[in-house]
Amino acid sequence: MKFAGTDKYYLAPELEAIVNMAIVMEKPLLLTGEPGTGKTQLAFEISRALGMDIEILRAKSTIKGEEACYVQDTVLRLNDARFGSGETGRDVQNFYDYAIWGPIGRAFRADKRVVLLLDEIDKTESDVQDNLLDVLEENQFVIRELNQIITAQQAPIIVITSNAKRELSDPFLRRCFCHHIAFPTKQEMREIVSLHYREISEKLVRVALEIFYELRGRGFEKPPATGELLNWLGALQHSGKMPETADNIPFAGILLKRSGDIQAWRQKGRKKAKTSSWHY
Amino acid sequence: MTAVEELRRGDAPAGLPFVDFVYMLRDFGIMTGMKEVLDFFEGLEKGLAGNLDELFLFARLVFVKKPEHLDRFERAFSLFFYDIDLPRVAEGDPELIHTKQFREWLEKAMRDGTIPRGAMWNMSREELIKKFWETVKEQMEGHHGGNRWVGTGGSSPFGHSGMAQKGIRVHGQGGNRMAMKVVGDRRYIDYDSANTLRGDNIRQVLATLKRMVPVGAENDLDLDETIRSTCNNGGDIDLVFKRQELDRIKLVLLIDNGGTSMMPYVNVTRLLFSKVKDRFKDSEIYYFHNTIYDVVYKDAMRTKPLKLDKLLGYNEETRVFILGDASMAPEELMYSYGSISFDLEDRVPSLERLQNIAEKFKFCVWLNPILKEEWDQTYGAWTLNKIRGVFHMEDLTLRGVKSAVDYMRRKAVK
Repeated sequence: MKFAGTDKYYLAPELEAIVNMAIVMEKPLLLTGEPGTGKTQLAFEISRALGMDIEILRAKSTIKGEEACYVQDTVLRLNDARFGSGETGRDVQNFYDYAIWGPIGRAFRADKRVVLLLDEIDKTESDVQDNLLDVLEENQFVIRELNQIITAQQAPIIVITSNAKRELSDPFLRRCFCHHIAFPTKQEMREIVSLHYREISEKLVRVALEIFYELRGRGFEKPPATGELLNWLGALQHSGKMPETADNIPFAGILLKRSGDIQAWRQKGRKKAKTSSWHY
Repeated sequence: MTAVEELRRGDAPAGLPFVDFVYMLRDFGIMTGMKEVLDFFEGLEKGLAGNLDELFLFARLVFVKKPEHLDRFERAFSLFFYDIDLPRVAEGDPELIHTKQFREWLEKAMRDGTIPRGAMWNMSREELIKKFWETVKEQMEGHHGGNRWVGTGGSSPFGHSGMAQKGIRVHGQGGNRMAMKVVGDRRYIDYDSANTLRGDNIRQVLATLKRMVPVGAENDLDLDETIRSTCNNGGDIDLVFKRQELDRIKLVLLIDNGGTSMMPYVNVTRLLFSKVKDRFKDSEIYYFHNTIYDVVYKDAMRTKPLKLDKLLGYNEETRVFILGDASMAPEELMYSYGSISFDLEDRVPSLERLQNIAEKFKFCVWLNPILKEEWDQTYGAWTLNKIRGVFHMEDLTLRGVKSAVDYMRRKAVK
């Protein structure tokens, strides 16, 4: 079993090697990096390339961690105990008839090996991360109602992503293989663009990338990322406009989202226009 | 018996290759534990590191847990496997001349005669710095400096075929160039925790600052949890309390925006603290020049004064951060009427004012953009150390902000 990328996704050779190492070592792979570096997408690509199903936990700050494994439908069970389960075939005595499995539960109970994605884990509180330690380390969790351990039939390929909004706890990090995806270089970005726009003028891409990386270097509060670049290129291509300098670009609102950033950008552009008029 | 089994049994790992490398990582501040070491050797046995490039990727995957350690890892790797000792700073950084690597290189170059004696006087600093990087690059391209694993001499301690039979192939073709290139790029240098703050490592610092959430006593009734717990308890009331949100806490940031040396840090710090604002009742920023007298200013131009006494009237739980290089002429800090501004006439020496602030606010940290290692050597070392005697001081780096936050958290728990 070897992961080698798909036609829709640009896979850096380095990342390919790393994914395969994590698979061989059966370790959860924790991906960090800016938004727009394709962390989440990678999990989907692994599942597609290896022909495996994928289970996804989208982390929220309100999540407790237990529901990622299972919850018990207590209301239904109470109802059945009081009024009978009728024709449904559910047995009130049997806990499993009332268990609703979360993504981790489903991944562990599946007959075939699956990809398990824990998305944006940094949004959770640190005790949730602690609850997940057993899941990562031993591929198992406990059903508290029965005091029973559920162990994965087939250890899933675990991919975890983090935007580093909050720091992850050390024990959590220790159980993972950690990889920081650096923002794509110009050359890599070219490859990414060509995967999305097959027929785009070479000149437009070159000019747009120059401007894009210059803007990124200006230290905006929210620097434009890959997604913004792709949308912007789409708009440029559609309108047939060609940007000139970083201070004078069409559809700036696609690249810069924060009003503070847009103001800072405009101000710089105006200052430039002013100083240059001095010379004439 | 395989190497891993040997290691598990606790035998002396003398025969194991790369154990030295693990210790070198520790020297570089990457704390590796037994678990990582075992993982590493297990991977080697599984053949995951067939060449030096793979070894580089795999070792990084196993040992590096945080982005701030990536650059250190690359430097350690380059030292161990290529015998090239990279300095902490990036190319183009004038700080280079303070590094050990530069000094050693210069000494050696003078001994060998590649640079004539007296070069320090004849050549400009820039020329020397350029020469240093040229030498490093030559080494990296030719691997000539390395006699450890890679190179033409083959003096590797594990003989021609590298280690064991699943060993590292160092003389074969291909698969040994990428790591060198990656190391040479220094892509992660800005993430290093010993770096001064700038755009790229702001996210990491922010993540740290968010941990500054105040901790209160457990005296708020948690209704949901109480109901649940009561049900579990068979109907007997079981009260559950949660920590009280201390939302009355203020954040005050005092910024020295006087000298040009401070300019690069003012905006970055302001931005940083504006992002953690929502964790506090409110936050305020005041400015001063070099040190604090009887007023601070509400605006960056320092035209709207606020009496220091007023600031001292704030709740003592207020979290106070002072940003400044603490470097000035001694009389500015120690004398009556010491200020260099004409309009500031304060009979009380500034140091005393600082002491007042430190006594009033127990959660107070001075952040200094000058790196900790240089505190004793900077031109303002005298005043810096005086101020250090008053405030808990950290440098304005990721590790500095981390310890500052830890310091406040520790105090809050007490």
